[in-house]
Amino acid sequence: MVDIPHKLPAVAPSTESALRVRLRRVRELSASVLANPTTVLGFVLIVAMISMAVFAPLITEANTPDPYQMPRDWGALNEPPGTDGFLLGTTNTGGDVFYGVVWGARTSLRLSLIVVGITVLVGVLVGSVAGFRGGKFDEILMRLVDVFLSIPELIFALAIAAVLGPSFGNIILALAVVFWVKYARIMRAQVLHVKANEYVDSARIIGDSGWNIYRRDVFPNAITPIIVQATMDMGHIVLVGATLSFIGLAEAGLAEWGVLVSEGQAGISAGRWWASTFPGLMVFLWALAFNLVGDGLRDVLDPRTETAR
Amino acid sequence: MQVREYLIRRLMILPLLVIGTSIIVFTLTRVGGSPIGIYLSHEMSQEEVAEIEARYHLDDPLPVQYLYWAGGVLRGDLGWSGISAGPVTQVMPDKIAASLELAVAAGIVAVTLGVGLGTFAGARRNRLPDHIARIFSISGASMPTFWFAIILLIVFWVYLGWFPVGRSTTALFTSIEHPTGLYTVDALLAGNLRAFGDALWHLVLPAVTLGYGATAIIARMMRSSLVEELQEDYVDAARAKGLAERVVLKRHARRNALIPTVTVIGLSFGFLLQGSVVTEIIFQWPGMGRWMADAVLRGDQATIMAYVLFTSVLFLGVNLVVDIVYAYLDRRVVLGD
Repeated sequence: MVDIPHKLPAVAPSTESALRVRLRRVRELSASVLANPTTVLGFVLIVAMISMAVFAPLITEANTPDPYQMPRDWGALNEPPGTDGFLLGTTNTGGDVFYGVVWGARTSLRLSLIVVGITVLVGVLVGSVAGFRGGKFDEILMRLVDVFLSIPELIFALAIAAVLGPSFGNIILALAVVFWVKYARIMRAQVLHVKANEYVDSARIIGDSGWNIYRRDVFPNAITPIIVQATMDMGHIVLVGATLSFIGLAEAGLAEWGVLVSEGQAGISAGRWWASTFPGLMVFLWALAFNLVGDGLRDVLDPRTETAR
Repeated sequence: MQVREYLIRRLMILPLLVIGTSIIVFTLTRVGGSPIGIYLSHEMSQEEVAEIEARYHLDDPLPVQYLYWAGGVLRGDLGWSGISAGPVTQVMPDKIAASLELAVAAGIVAVTLGVGLGTFAGARRNRLPDHIARIFSISGASMPTFWFAIILLIVFWVYLGWFPVGRSTTALFTSIEHPTGLYTVDALLAGNLRAFGDALWHLVLPAVTLGYGATAIIARMMRSSLVEELQEDYVDAARAKGLAERVVLKRHARRNALIPTVTVIGLSFGFLLQGSVVTEIIFQWPGMGRWMADAVLRGDQATIMAYVLFTSVLFLGVNLVVDIVYAYLDRRVVLGD
């Protein structure tokens, strides 16, 4: 015999409105995220670089007709940094390194937003259906994931971009094709994990529809690792994209950091270090910033997978 | 027992995954365009073109073409490499040797530095060396290989002149035989220490470049698992026995901390494969990675397919070995049934 209590333990009804609870939660979360100095450093870097991307036309005069093409000054080849009008010097074809650094931020922001946006959307959708419904669809997805994981992502993206032909748009496409699988896999595992909880069973017993269960109970509890991963990928995608364009898969003359590093490479044996150094440093800082913030977010949002303690 | 069954199953799935990958990449490359260009010249007539198309089965449907390719692979024929002007199977051994030599050197750098740094930091938790090691590890994941390589070149080749680029000095290269294609090994076999030193000297910068990313990951994993192990009871017991701290750290804690690190070492092999493309381009290293980059830029499909095949077999194989080593090191996995 089990004693069934006559009264359920009373829960004090909250006096706060749902909105205020949510706001308070956001405040608490951001306070604990910002308690970590390296995360703050990451945030500062991100804000600085995104401002650079957004205000690029105000920082340097946009090149016409296509602002994403490097302006060339054939009268100022190989100028060192600090030369009049060329803060960071010029390349061996008269490209303004400062212009490339600033507009490269805009190119990178565009690249990372598009790729992360598409891959998260597709990955979450596919992963949710596979995890929530199971069955044939799940089976096929998992086999596909196995195949995608049997080759390093950069190599896969390289092969795809090669087929599509050299252009920055094709780099975007290749990265999207390669990266969505990662999100599908994470989301599927999360959904399976959350689905095993008692509150999902209870919701089912009281007759909630599948869609409502997914929307109210499963999705909000499964999405956290996706947010962390997406944050890190905002940096990682730019790193991989710049690598592909460094190899030569973007249009020559594009205002993009990898292209610029590659262009500057020719001059380093003659001691012209600047054309490669500055844009490469930008790729590093961009990736570093999102890694720092992603790391901080993970510590707070998802302490189970915390690695550094 | 369970582990063995699992591994056997993995071994059986491996070829299927390789086939899956090759189908995807083959389809993609053929959709991108017919490889017929490398067989043609300007003087050929329509009939000759059609004849070549028929001879290489390029007019067949895609699945049939794939079967011809796969059949060729089974017979040891990987096609004609346009960029190297030779059969892929003839060009490949030298490229593999060059990449292997570089990868082994990078692996040695990554494992010794990574484990050393991780141990050093983990034993000094939350003190200055630990913070420095943390910054180093996080930057490792954010460092573009192509930029790191160029910075090393600017500092150590252009300004200091300490290290060369390329793979060897021509005079020394031609002075010895090359039976293995691994220049360091060849030099030792020939008993030529100057050539050995030269080969080693050429290896330093590319190996450090390639090993950097993996070093960071290994150091980070080593540090956190060492920190965890140092809190275990057996460490207290060892200290209570009166063992020197050095012995406790090296013989007891570090041994156990190495178990999870082994997995990471295996996983960072993917980093080596990816990094080798850019590293070989920048240091003019005549290996598989640079070959692939050339093939990609010039649309050489046979070479691209050979590289993808090689990479996926290697990648999957290494992952399998890592699992076996892990099961072997961590006896709990085997005994826990």
